[in-house]
Amino acid sequence: MLVLDQINKGDGSLRLVAWWVSAGLLVLAAGLWRIQVLQGDHYRERQETQSFRSVRVPALRGRILDRNGLPLVDNQPRYRLDVYLDELLPQFAAEEKRLRALHMAARGLTNAAPVSLWEHLAARLGRKPRRPSLSPNEREWLRRSARYAVVSNIIVQVNQRLAMQVTKTEEDLFRHWQQQRALPFPLVNRLAPAQVAILTEQGSSIPGVEIDLVPSRLYPHGPLAAHVLGYVKATEDPDPAEDRDFDYRLRDYRGEIGLEAAYDRSLRGVAGAKSILINSSGYRHRQGEVLIEAPVPGDHLVTTLDLHLQRAVEKSLALVSGDERGAAVVVDVRNGDILAMASAPSFDPNGWIDGIRRADYERLLDPKMRPMFNRATYGSYNPGSTFKVVTALACLDAGVLTPASALERMHTLGYYRLGRNHVIDDTAPAGDYDFNRAFIKSSNAYFIDHGLRLGIGPLLAYARRLHLGEKTGLRIQEETSGILPEASEIPQALAAGKTANLSIGQELTVTPLQLALVFAAVANGGSVWWPRLVDRIEPGEALSTEPPQQVRPGQVRSRIDIPRAHLALVHAAMRDDVALDDGTGRAARVPGFAVCGKTGTAEVKSGRKLVDRITWFASFAPFESPRYAVVVMVESGGSGGRTCAPVAQRIYEHLRDRERGALSLGGMNP
Amino acid sequence: MNVAMPALPLPNVPRERLVDRSLWLAVLGLMLVGVAFIFSATGAAESLRGAAWFDRLAVRQAIAYGLGIGLVAGSCLVDYSRLARWSLVAYWLSIVLLVAVYVVGVERLGAKRWIALGPVQFQPSEFAKLAFLFAFANFLSRPQGELASPAIFAKALGMAFLPFALVLKQPDLGSALVFMPSAVVMLLVAGVPGRLLGRFLGGAALLVLLVLLQVLFLPPRWRLIKLEDYQRHRLLVYFNMDFADPGASEAQRAAARTEKANKSYNVDQALISVGSGGLWGKGWQQGTQGALGYLPRAVAHNDFIFSVIAEETGFAGSLLVLGLYGTVLFSGVKIAGQARDRLGRILASGVVALLFTHVFVNIGMNIRLMPVTGIPLPLLSAGGTSVVCSLLAIGVLQNIHQNRKNY
Repeated sequence: MLVLDQINKGDGSLRLVAWWVSAGLLVLAAGLWRIQVLQGDHYRERQETQSFRSVRVPALRGRILDRNGLPLVDNQPRYRLDVYLDELLPQFAAEEKRLRALHMAARGLTNAAPVSLWEHLAARLGRKPRRPSLSPNEREWLRRSARYAVVSNIIVQVNQRLAMQVTKTEEDLFRHWQQQRALPFPLVNRLAPAQVAILTEQGSSIPGVEIDLVPSRLYPHGPLAAHVLGYVKATEDPDPAEDRDFDYRLRDYRGEIGLEAAYDRSLRGVAGAKSILINSSGYRHRQGEVLIEAPVPGDHLVTTLDLHLQRAVEKSLALVSGDERGAAVVVDVRNGDILAMASAPSFDPNGWIDGIRRADYERLLDPKMRPMFNRATYGSYNPGSTFKVVTALACLDAGVLTPASALERMHTLGYYRLGRNHVIDDTAPAGDYDFNRAFIKSSNAYFIDHGLRLGIGPLLAYARRLHLGEKTGLRIQEETSGILPEASEIPQALAAGKTANLSIGQELTVTPLQLALVFAAVANGGSVWWPRLVDRIEPGEALSTEPPQQVRPGQVRSRIDIPRAHLALVHAAMRDDVALDDGTGRAARVPGFAVCGKTGTAEVKSGRKLVDRITWFASFAPFESPRYAVVVMVESGGSGGRTCAPVAQRIYEHLRDRERGALSLGGMNP
Repeated sequence: MNVAMPALPLPNVPRERLVDRSLWLAVLGLMLVGVAFIFSATGAAESLRGAAWFDRLAVRQAIAYGLGIGLVAGSCLVDYSRLARWSLVAYWLSIVLLVAVYVVGVERLGAKRWIALGPVQFQPSEFAKLAFLFAFANFLSRPQGELASPAIFAKALGMAFLPFALVLKQPDLGSALVFMPSAVVMLLVAGVPGRLLGRFLGGAALLVLLVLLQVLFLPPRWRLIKLEDYQRHRLLVYFNMDFADPGASEAQRAAARTEKANKSYNVDQALISVGSGGLWGKGWQQGTQGALGYLPRAVAHNDFIFSVIAEETGFAGSLLVLGLYGTVLFSGVKIAGQARDRLGRILASGVVALLFTHVFVNIGMNIRLMPVTGIPLPLLSAGGTSVVCSLLAIGVLQNIHQNRKNY
């Protein structure tokens, strides 16, 4: 062996040299073994950390459908115009060089180094100024300017071709460069199809510019059911609690209100991840993108809403005045499904997706109209005379009123005097009223008299059994419980006044949805439902074998046993309110569909002064076998009978036609 | 190949050859590795830039190999002892060139090491190494008895010190220091009494220690020997010490920390390249460190070419390269042992020491065993002067080999 020979033989000094050489090579081999083999993983990890960046890839958001599978919320492709900075690196360098020369010339410096021997000697002897160099700050400034010069040049070309007015400031570019250098710089967020055509026809000959296709949220029906559906806001980080770290996050959407917010987690799906290879200056490297984990698309939400009915409800509500403030709710009395729920005025959720415009935003903040406010579930109002249905049932339940005594006539004065100073007005004129008459003329005196005989405790207890003063348990956040006072909190001295007011629906507040559920219970004979807005959650992946998550229909919240006789009495009175020509609710009459209803006009007073009227029409139909409960509420209306009953009439007409249509189609969806 | 006649068996002696086959096979192997990995380190960037084929570093390296081999063949026509007669002339010529660097040298990265000769640049310190080897060996080849005289010893030290000091002044501490191991090995092999050598080595070690201590620990105004800032920084990086002076403000310390991170960048990236290669490497042209620019493009193909090789071929490839160098070095020791005279023996061991120092320091700095210096890896680092001089040094070994005893 070459090595051993040299170490063993030969004389002393050469042997020493051979030893040194072997020792040195062994030290190197040992060092290499340590770094490449023992610590190889550590260095590979460091190499990956510095040259890969992870990017969060948002999943396609799930759709929201109506009960028949029609899309209420959808996704659509969006064409985005991007500038890929890494493809402009040669331009950046050239521009920087040009700018540097200009900069030097402006400062009277020369960039030329001495070339010939003579120049060297002259430079040495003459002690000419040394070759000028730029400070790091100046160089950084030059680079930044060069980048902006190149990119703004590209923007000019884009503007020329597309006849657009895109502007990006140097600050915009610099921020992107600092924070998301490896990602493309977005120029135009949403290209019109015609613009896409122009760019693709001419071939994208603008360097670094590409059209990227990204999904975007779409509300195909604009403001329809906007409060229930909610809206989404673009964000990089939809869930700060998501326990994964990414270097970059692509634009994702977060549900803000309504179903979009309540079911955000299901709709959002599971974000995936891709890695991009970056070079030492932080730019993306060509062909360096790898999808590490495919995103799992979000689940679809199938709601209980009926798109056509919802549209009809909103149209009917709009008949009031066009800029009314109100709400309308349609509930299936047989199972608590919410078939339609509208709040007016509404807003267009599409406006929120790419960031809302200032003018629109200010309109949405209007303190009187409050278009973002869901009046159907988040607004609570005095139910007014509609509450007389509850007062009647409570009195019947306690025996204060019986089917027999209901026929007895009571003389009223056209007002009700409570003690010396307290007079409650009555809309019904003075006269003799039995129960039915008192109901359809909405006599305050009759119901106050019975309410006082019943007492505040039992009346409140009955209202509580109907779950007034409690949230209905919808998953959407914009819900209020309304106010139902506690009997124990009412001082004895005030009890009579409070009881009188409560009997005609003044001392408590309810949401239109709560009232609809109360009327559904009255219609179906005492079942108070948990309302249902979502029928099922279907897996977003087309090929998924997972069964949809079904939300059980017809969940009884509580059951009140209402004797048949009581029910018949109240149902008949409600029917007559609409059916009789002098009933307050006669405007809701629908041929071929026996509507049972009760009007209400609650007065909102500030001190003794009347400031507003909340008008109601609460109802169910048809009389023979109730299927729908419809509640219409309009703020600042004239009266329940004149303002709200016609709205309900339109809704019932649609419901009637819907059933007929469904029957003629073979009973698709009764 | 001779075909031995069975009827007349040849006496059992090693067959005599003109060329040392293992030496030149190893050199050939190193040249192939050199061209392949210089291409790997620079090819992508060059093709992106659209450089002409003759302007590519791998091609230029191959041309330098050819030129070097030609010069070796030429030099081997003349017996090394006749060449040695001219060694003093060459020595002084190299001294003149080193001085000339000062006046007409081309400055690159803050140091003047190159002289421009038309389109090519040439590095006198590389040439000085060879001239020094010859002159020093010639000086030491006098009868061994004379070397015991302190005067002769002092003269020898002076001879070594002059080019050392001039290269140090360029400034090129690394290249200056590689003179020392060669000088010491040649003194040892020439048979300078251990007493003198020991004293010299002890003194030198003490001096180096003092210089290091004062550079690393004393505040700036107390330092007697002032290194260039970048040299001091390299040492601080190597010893992993704070850049800031004691008593510096917090702001200065923070600035010093960033500066340290910047200065240790090359070393860190070299380590990541070498380490991420693992056992078997990522494959030729598959390394990312150079392609993505983490290993700076200015050094990947020369001072840090070993990082590129190690990343792409792993520990296995690193060992292969070490093996090739080992073959060259041990062939050198063998040739020294078989040399005809004291001159050949001293010269050959000087060449071995010079090559070994380069290999050890360069690979050592790639794996943080040594501080960063601009010492090239013989035959592998891109650079014409270094390649030609390394080949000429190996040519000297060949010259001694073909004029050995009993040949």
